[in-house]
Amino acid sequence: MKKIRIGAGSGYAPSKTGEALRLVREGNINYICFDQLAELTMSIMSKNQQKDPTRGYLTQHIEGMKQVLPEAHKRGVKIITNGGGVNPEAAADQILKIAADNNIKGLKVAVIKGDNIAGRIDEMLKKGWKFTNLETGEDDISKIKDSILIANAYIGSDSIIAALEAGADVVVAGRCSDSALFVAPIMHEFGWKFEDAYWPRIGAAITIGHTLECADFVTGVASPVWEHVPKPEEIVYPLAEVSEDGTAILEMPSSGGGLLNEWTVKSQLVYEVHDPKNYIMPDGVADMTAVKVEDLGNNRVKLSNMTGKRRPDTLKVIIGYPGGFIAEVMNYISAPKALTKARRVEEIGWKNLTKYGIKREDVDIQIDYIGINSILKSIVPTPDEDQINEIGLRIAARGKNPLEAGMIAVSFLDMSPVGFTVSVPSKPRSYISLWPTLIPREEVPTSFIMKRLE
Amino acid sequence: MSKKVLIKELAYVRSGDKGDISNVGIMAFNKENYEIIRKQVTPQKVKDHYKELVKGEVKIYEMPNIDSLQVVMYKALGGGATSTLRFDETGKAMCLGMLFMPVEVPDAFKPAKPPM
Repeated sequence: MKKIRIGAGSGYAPSKTGEALRLVREGNINYICFDQLAELTMSIMSKNQQKDPTRGYLTQHIEGMKQVLPEAHKRGVKIITNGGGVNPEAAADQILKIAADNNIKGLKVAVIKGDNIAGRIDEMLKKGWKFTNLETGEDDISKIKDSILIANAYIGSDSIIAALEAGADVVVAGRCSDSALFVAPIMHEFGWKFEDAYWPRIGAAITIGHTLECADFVTGVASPVWEHVPKPEEIVYPLAEVSEDGTAILEMPSSGGGLLNEWTVKSQLVYEVHDPKNYIMPDGVADMTAVKVEDLGNNRVKLSNMTGKRRPDTLKVIIGYPGGFIAEVMNYISAPKALTKARRVEEIGWKNLTKYGIKREDVDIQIDYIGINSILKSIVPTPDEDQINEIGLRIAARGKNPLEAGMIAVSFLDMSPVGFTVSVPSKPRSYISLWPTLIPREEVPTSFIMKRLE
Repeated sequence: MSKKVLIKELAYVRSGDKGDISNVGIMAFNKENYEIIRKQVTPQKVKDHYKELVKGEVKIYEMPNIDSLQVVMYKALGGGATSTLRFDETGKAMCLGMLFMPVEVPDAFKPAKPPM
């Protein structure tokens, strides 16, 4: 039975180039796939590109290709990445430059196009499509339309597969789904199509991709069994040996640290999945309630019995737009009576706001008693005051502009109790809001262009 | 007769984010624990437990293949990672709150040791 070995070269940015290199050198892999994008990343990349039109890709990641590309090329390992961000073509040019510097001849680098739909919104609105916000239910996009930073569809693996069929050694995409990076080589190598006979196996490919796409999140990072993870300073990235029958064995290089077992794999199967029977990806709908997890020991876990359904008719889109400004201040408060003092400082803050004519209910604010409940809030009990050595009273506020946010936050700096310690307020920072929505699949045609180094 | 134990005696947890939605995976140590958790961890109980942290609805999905529950909490991250005022921007620690949720077990019940 035909088998292919696929490694995860990153699961987020910034990533550990050394671990991608270790996989290329020791993993005996055919492909290495790099997921670099979180929900916010495309908006940040867009801001970078506005400052410098030759940017807009994940620079640290592409810089890492100086090490990864020559090693991968030597071993015939193909590279697939979504680190192109909003400018995959510029990223591809950088990779070609690295190839030229390393005297790698004939390298074929494919650039995936089509995920950027920002320029199509007006036309789609005219056609009557509503970009309903999936979280808030709002369907009037006009109020943010003129300030949109990015609008990208989560595209599937179609054009990555086409690029691999055309002989690409490296594929550079922008906002493809994380799992598509892994689904593409599996479907390409096994000749699977987006047709009825293949949906269960595509569901398997999505599930396998999901276990790999966060890289070290399945080998000991963010782990509930963190106390048992060997050499956590050297956690390796995983790989999957995928069989043509739609099963896979997850493995990891043995030279570093980390842990791959039943529990680290389950942790990834429950991670950010929502309805597990219907894990909707652009390439298909995986059923995570079917997969059988078998711990084979020695950092090997078998996945079988995976399945799925036909891909959806719509694609998810994330639209990023400027949201406003956030200001933060800190009061550091020591015992004795740290809690009494902190509560008093908070109360003085509210009175200050009233003085400025700002009503309590109009303020967009978060007040954290660090050391007491800043993360789990009232889920955790408040200790007795004589058990508290110190409290960080943190105030964070949102405002339409830096002045508004800053004024609210600064109102909560108080120096009246003896022994006050306050931080110098930092400059309010701008933040980006996201508008998640859907678009019909047929409105997002994708394609690739092949660049070749002669 | 029954007594209360916390979920940290029965399961591992892990959470993640999509926009303003937080999801907590509860991975029971064994099938017996899974049945206790499956029957008692309800959307209303989760909502009451998380209080001011979760402003929207709660949905719960079963994953019997891995003795796990998938708890999905809406309007649960202060607006989402990009714009939240919270420290825990991506809700990675939201799962830890679940460890403090009490469930009822028979008096004779002795929690199994964690598998690891």
